Amino acid sequence: MPIIHTIGLTKRFEDVVAVDKLNLSIDEGEIFGLLGPNGAGKTTTVLMLSTVIKPTQGTAKVGNHDVRTNPDAVRKLIGICFQEPKLMWVSTPWDVLNWHAKVCGLSTSERKHRVKSMLTEVNMWEHRRKRIHGLSGGMKKRVEVAKILIQRPKIAFIDEPTSQIDVVGKHKIWDMIRELRDDGSTIILATNELYEADVLSNRVGIMHKGRMLVCDTPKKLKDSILGGDIVEVQLEKAADNHVLDELKGLEEVVEIVKIRPDDLRVHLNKVEKVVPKIVNLFLNAKLSISSIRMSEPSLDDVFVHYTGLTIEEAEKKSKTK
Amino acid sequence: MKAIIHLVEYDFRNFFRYKWWLAGLISMNLADLLIMAVVYNQMLSPEITELIRSYISFFAPGVTVVGLFASAFMIGREINMEVRRQIHHYMLSLPITRLELAVGRLLAGGLRGMMYMTPLLLTTFIIVGFPTPLQLLIILGALFLLATGIAGVSIAIAVSISSFEKFITARGLIYYLLFFCSSIFYPLTLIQKLGQEGIMPQPFVTLAELNPLSNCANLIRAFLLGNPPFTLDMIRNLIVFSAVFVGTATVAYMKIIQRK
Repeated sequence: MPIIHTIGLTKRFEDVVAVDKLNLSIDEGEIFGLLGPNGAGKTTTVLMLSTVIKPTQGTAKVGNHDVRTNPDAVRKLIGICFQEPKLMWVSTPWDVLNWHAKVCGLSTSERKHRVKSMLTEVNMWEHRRKRIHGLSGGMKKRVEVAKILIQRPKIAFIDEPTSQIDVVGKHKIWDMIRELRDDGSTIILATNELYEADVLSNRVGIMHKGRMLVCDTPKKLKDSILGGDIVEVQLEKAADNHVLDELKGLEEVVEIVKIRPDDLRVHLNKVEKVVPKIVNLFLNAKLSISSIRMSEPSLDDVFVHYTGLTIEEAEKKSKTK
Repeated sequence: MKAIIHLVEYDFRNFFRYKWWLAGLISMNLADLLIMAVVYNQMLSPEITELIRSYISFFAPGVTVVGLFASAFMIGREINMEVRRQIHHYMLSLPITRLELAVGRLLAGGLRGMMYMTPLLLTTFIIVGFPTPLQLLIILGALFLLATGIAGVSIAIAVSISSFEKFITARGLIYYLLFFCSSIFYPLTLIQKLGQEGIMPQPFVTLAELNPLSNCANLIRAFLLGNPPFTLDMIRNLIVFSAVFVGTATVAYMKIIQRK
């Protein structure tokens, strides 16, 4: 039974279709990566699922409650970490988190404990009494992330959690998101960072121009690119046509590119299975291998495969529009 | 109920972050009162002096109402800023019903107005005299109705207008219209006389008669000065004003804000 299920979920802003007939199922306990460039419709989807804005068409069930007919019940289950920190500029990090925890129903002792430990975790304890408008973008973002980590909702919507955050901070936040999942939260991670989606998500849905193009585990998405895996083999001497024909004959091999007579690039599927076969093939042909390098497609390649654009190009196009 | 209390706390906390600005405003209101008392009292015609005894006694309840108006209106400015910076998305995502959210913000706006007005009301009592406990209760009730009504007007405008400049312009128009066509600075009888003489347009006279600021200032004057006489119409008008704008703001906050 999915914890989130959308049927034809659509949002229009005047002439612009921000989300177009979205059908989606998210299972309880998973980290679902909603991947796409800025303007793909990720944030609008999150806002509809969290009952902040109403869908124009279609509907969604969140925790078995309809976002249209029972939004109050939905809001009791969810928490959002917004892309742009939503903090009252005259407040302080302590007040923001303490009030948020209070509204979310945490007891006084639990609240104080969690606020203190989370401010420490996100390296904001020293700055807890500073006004929000005096904090840097990264600091504000850390306070925003801390809100959801304190709340620990059943369903957490996390929108670009590591934008403006340094590399060390990113890894820390990723660990915290995983801990949140391990503690029983279902996480919807909206991001335009392909690596972030790859390392965190159990499943990834790629959105482009308001539509969900494809949705599966990162591994299956990568495998879905025919010939997406690459093996680069450098031989000590040139391979003759007979060996190349034999190599072509392997069912996983899609294409062989001869960079030099002794330097081959092989496009194939399921690299982990086929590499031993390739090595054996060359050894049987008495061809010594100087070096061998394997690479799998990344989610960048998956995005290019399904949209025909890199994520940067897609963002540029969406900004131009 | 808990949610409403949390929202009131949120707005009070933000209100007190401007404490020095508020202190400056209160000082300005009190300075106005003093200047008016000293200067205007000497400038008034005997005809008016006969009507109002002394200008300081007449104007003190007016300043109290002006202070209440300005501070209760502040909630709209904050909500307008929240909408422009999309902080309202955060408020709308909290485990609070839309009704609780609207009522909490309205109540907070009203209570903030009451809190700001308290030193001004105390000053009025010191200058003009203290009311009986029952009169005090009625005065506080009336001021609260006015404060929530003003918070309602302000919230309704704040969520209907996205631009801060337009919000400030709308606030300015309402300020001047309600202050000008009211009995804050001059007695209602004088305005009615000007209307009869054709000097003041009749719609302005009607507005001054129905104006909640007039009703509230006159209610305080009725109890403290005995003039104008207290009528139930004063309370009725305040209830109608408060009900209309609390209702409008609630609907606006619940419906319009979700589309932003």
